[in-house]
Amino acid sequence: MSKPSDLVQGTLDLLILKTIAAEAMHGWGIAQRIRQVSGEVLQVNQGALYPALHRLEQNGWIRAKWGESDNNRRARYYSLTAAGRKYLQSEEANWRRLSTAIGLVLEKV
Amino acid sequence: MRWMYKLPLRIRSLFRKKCVEEDLNEELRFHMEKLIEEKVASGMTPKEARYAALRDFGGVEQLKEECRDSWGVRMISELGQDLRYGLRQLRRNPGFTTVAVLTLALGIGANTAIFSLIDAVMLRSLPVNDPSHLVVLNWSARNQMRGPINSSSFGDCNESLTDANSSGCSFPYPFFQLLHAEKGLFSGIAAFAGPAQLVLGGNGPAKMASGEIVSGDYFSTLGVKAAVGRTLGPGDDDPSAAPAVVLSYAFWQSAFGGDRSAVGRTILLNSVPFTIAGVAEQSFTNLAPGKTQDFWLTIAIAPRLNINWVSRGQSFRDWWLVILGRLKPGVTLQKAQAATALTFRNEMLHGSEPVWKASDNPGIELVPAQQGLTGLRGFFSAPLYVLMFVVGLILLIACANVAGLLLSRAAGRQTEMAVRLAVGAGRRRIVRQLLTESVLLSLAGGALGVLFAYWGVRLIVSLVSASMLGSFPFVVVPDWRVLVFIVSICIFTGIVFGLAPAFRSARLILTPALKGSSGMFWLGGKRAGGLIHLGKSLVVVQVVLSVVVLIGAGLLVRTLRNLREVNPGFDTQNLLLFGIDPTLENYKPAQVQNFYRELQERLAAMPGVTSASYSFPALLSGGLVITGYHLDGQPDKKSVPADRLTIGTDFLSTMHIPLIGGRAFTDEDFQQAAEAASAEETAHKAAQSKTPGLGGAISPAVAPPVSALVNHAFALKYFPGQNPLGMRLLEPINPDMSGKTAPQIVPRRSWVIVGIVGDTKYSNLRRAIHPTVYVPITGGGARFELRTAGNPIALIPAVRHAVELINKNLPLFRVQTQSQVIDGLLVPERVIARVSSLFGLLALLLACIGLYGLLSYETARRRPEIGIRMALGAEKNEILRMVIGQGLKLALIGVGIGLAGSFALTRFLSSLLYGVKPTDLITFIAVSLILIAVALVACYVPARRAAKVDPMVALRYE
Repeated sequence: MSKPSDLVQGTLDLLILKTIAAEAMHGWGIAQRIRQVSGEVLQVNQGALYPALHRLEQNGWIRAKWGESDNNRRARYYSLTAAGRKYLQSEEANWRRLSTAIGLVLEKV
Repeated sequence: MRWMYKLPLRIRSLFRKKCVEEDLNEELRFHMEKLIEEKVASGMTPKEARYAALRDFGGVEQLKEECRDSWGVRMISELGQDLRYGLRQLRRNPGFTTVAVLTLALGIGANTAIFSLIDAVMLRSLPVNDPSHLVVLNWSARNQMRGPINSSSFGDCNESLTDANSSGCSFPYPFFQLLHAEKGLFSGIAAFAGPAQLVLGGNGPAKMASGEIVSGDYFSTLGVKAAVGRTLGPGDDDPSAAPAVVLSYAFWQSAFGGDRSAVGRTILLNSVPFTIAGVAEQSFTNLAPGKTQDFWLTIAIAPRLNINWVSRGQSFRDWWLVILGRLKPGVTLQKAQAATALTFRNEMLHGSEPVWKASDNPGIELVPAQQGLTGLRGFFSAPLYVLMFVVGLILLIACANVAGLLLSRAAGRQTEMAVRLAVGAGRRRIVRQLLTESVLLSLAGGALGVLFAYWGVRLIVSLVSASMLGSFPFVVVPDWRVLVFIVSICIFTGIVFGLAPAFRSARLILTPALKGSSGMFWLGGKRAGGLIHLGKSLVVVQVVLSVVVLIGAGLLVRTLRNLREVNPGFDTQNLLLFGIDPTLENYKPAQVQNFYRELQERLAAMPGVTSASYSFPALLSGGLVITGYHLDGQPDKKSVPADRLTIGTDFLSTMHIPLIGGRAFTDEDFQQAAEAASAEETAHKAAQSKTPGLGGAISPAVAPPVSALVNHAFALKYFPGQNPLGMRLLEPINPDMSGKTAPQIVPRRSWVIVGIVGDTKYSNLRRAIHPTVYVPITGGGARFELRTAGNPIALIPAVRHAVELINKNLPLFRVQTQSQVIDGLLVPERVIARVSSLFGLLALLLACIGLYGLLSYETARRRPEIGIRMALGAEKNEILRMVIGQGLKLALIGVGIGLAGSFALTRFLSSLLYGVKPTDLITFIAVSLILIAVALVACYVPARRAAKVDPMVALRYE
């Protein structure tokens, strides 16, 4: 399992926001989705995930709601707020700019 | 927009903490179950899967903590914890808490009480509408007024009558009219004087009441409204107007029981009927601090009351009115001042009756009324400032004391702190915990302090008014400013003395602190040394401050004792005094004489009265008359100052003043004096009917001499080595503007010395004995003196009855025994001596608690060391000496510094002292000895405890 410290805090936030951008998800789902999509490279530890979720919620980027999970169990579903959506866009743009820049450096030097 | 999401969350996490916690638990449980499901799916048994999931999950509590961190209400919920924990700590150490809270409460309470007093006396704002635009006129000149001037002032402002710098705030009526006519500067201008003491009739038995004499626009200028009826207006300030008065609210309550129907009723003032027009609003008590009046009446009506200083004439020679102006919007103080000064200067130099020369540079200053009207402030300010300084020191001592207590306790709690650090408390958290505790402590002290302040204010006010034979003329209420002051002191002290122990605790070295609890070894380092050092310095500071306070108190107590033991030169025991003034009932001088004679004879014949006399003023009553005398055989223009007392029959024998030489006054002397007085009056009238100022200097005639007595001091100073008996004294000649002798329209008074009497104190106990002349009384008001066989108080009803038999409309005033009068004179001295010695004892007590606390802690800390010493053969006495020596060293250092500090500081007290030098050796030595003695007691208890240490127990303990 990749260590949480591998993920810069801002990066984890970005991954969470992006993951729930399409649909509301619970914590377990978010972790699974990130793992699958990243091809098992990025594993988010619950020790990092839940504090991050709570922090994002307190910041007003995401909101939580209790809902039914697959087999009728109560789960806490997280979805983006309007402010969170804007925040995600700007963070995504930032990330792309940064990774392009790093890519350029790695190629050309 | 984000706050829309954030705010409800914060509120929820703060107030519905349980709910939020459950949400978190459930969320994590769900995650856990999912994890288990996944493991089961990958082929583990449910049991294995659960263990594996738990392992994977890691520390659930830590995870929860991290989530809680993000809720953003950590601070607040932790504060709640801190508070709860702090309260529990304080409850667990009731001794420590009681001492600390009481110490603080006393310090804060004393400060608040004194600050409230200062606020009431010194800072109170004028009870009028918009006081900031109100100015009072002050005149100044480089010389005294020239020529015959009648100047009256009533203590509304500071005045100075020295030759080099004269100043004051009394003005002549025509000058007020001049300013009144000037329309550009002031939106209102008013004048007032008094209060006059008047006989109030028509409302029960006749009694004395005080009436302020004011101009018609006094109330409108001040913006003071009526509570009932109306205030006085310009229409009332007209000689043809019906006489009207406006009552003060307090007088309305006390004399008329707050009856609304009092308005419209008629009362008699000096037998003149007045209608009560209204009652002034309650907040308007007085203008100058400490001065009070019962009612107000107008200048135009006042001359009917036969008050000698009221003059509504056009003369610039009668100065008696205080002038107030309200600046027009847009007019600056400077502009108004320049214009007013110009008018004043013109009139004073070039008017019909010039008072100054151009070289005297007469001028006007406009002073904001708040500062300009000083009233009784001066009388109380010096004692109040001393008390303020003293309570400031008390607060410092209290803080040092509590700081010391906290320090010792913090040292005692190092193990506890170490445990908390070890189980993961942050250092910041520990500092905050300790700070919370000390702020809690100081707030508790502050709350109790407010209570103490209320008591303190009441105590001091009752102390003052009990001895003033009247109420304290200031309203003292701890108001919101005082409360702000207290709260800031509380929090400030809490933070200041919470910081030192807090930071020290947070810097603990963990391991040794956890290992041992007595801590001989782990505390041995530099840090612990610093802690002890700080504690020692705090104790020294407390001793220093209490030495200063005690020495100050000692000097003030000695002053009071000295003043009490002053021999006034006459017998003050069994002496009843009262004032009476038949001129208020329109007695003519000859009638006054007869009235006094008759009353004196009746009183002297009363059972229980040994003898009776009368004089003006009474001795030691605060009154004082000083006049100039030209001595026989001296150059014409030269005159010497002397006190003058006018006395009636049997004065010397009644007062027990010894006759040193010559003879006392006889009936013939009084007869002669009465004749001289009536001759003088006739001459006055004759002179006034003639046109004044008829050419040239008339050589002043001298009236036939009247008998006079002089005191021993007069004989010694003005007739050294001669026999003063038979010597003549003459009224000095007033030089006029040109410095030449003024035309003397009335023959000069003259006296011949017929007797020499013993020295007595005159106006008060402090004033040195001056040369004094006694002359026969010829009229005016008087104070009667009755020498009684028993308690003078018991005779008061009989005395009243005796006066009523002659004239029932004449009220007696200031009916007091001589001892009461003297007590009244010593009010400031007594208050300050009592309060400061109280504070001195408090300081001593606090310093001893500090010393005791430090030594107890020290000996507890050094128990193992003491055990070793004893095991090695040290005697109990040696241990005792060692501990006491240690405490005594601190006390001695403190006393030394304190003595030096007092040496530097006590000279600021010198104006309050009497018969004792600011560096009085006896006081300094006595205070040092007291302090050392008390310190010894404070050291002895912990020392004995140390000496009882069982070496075996102490050593095994480590």
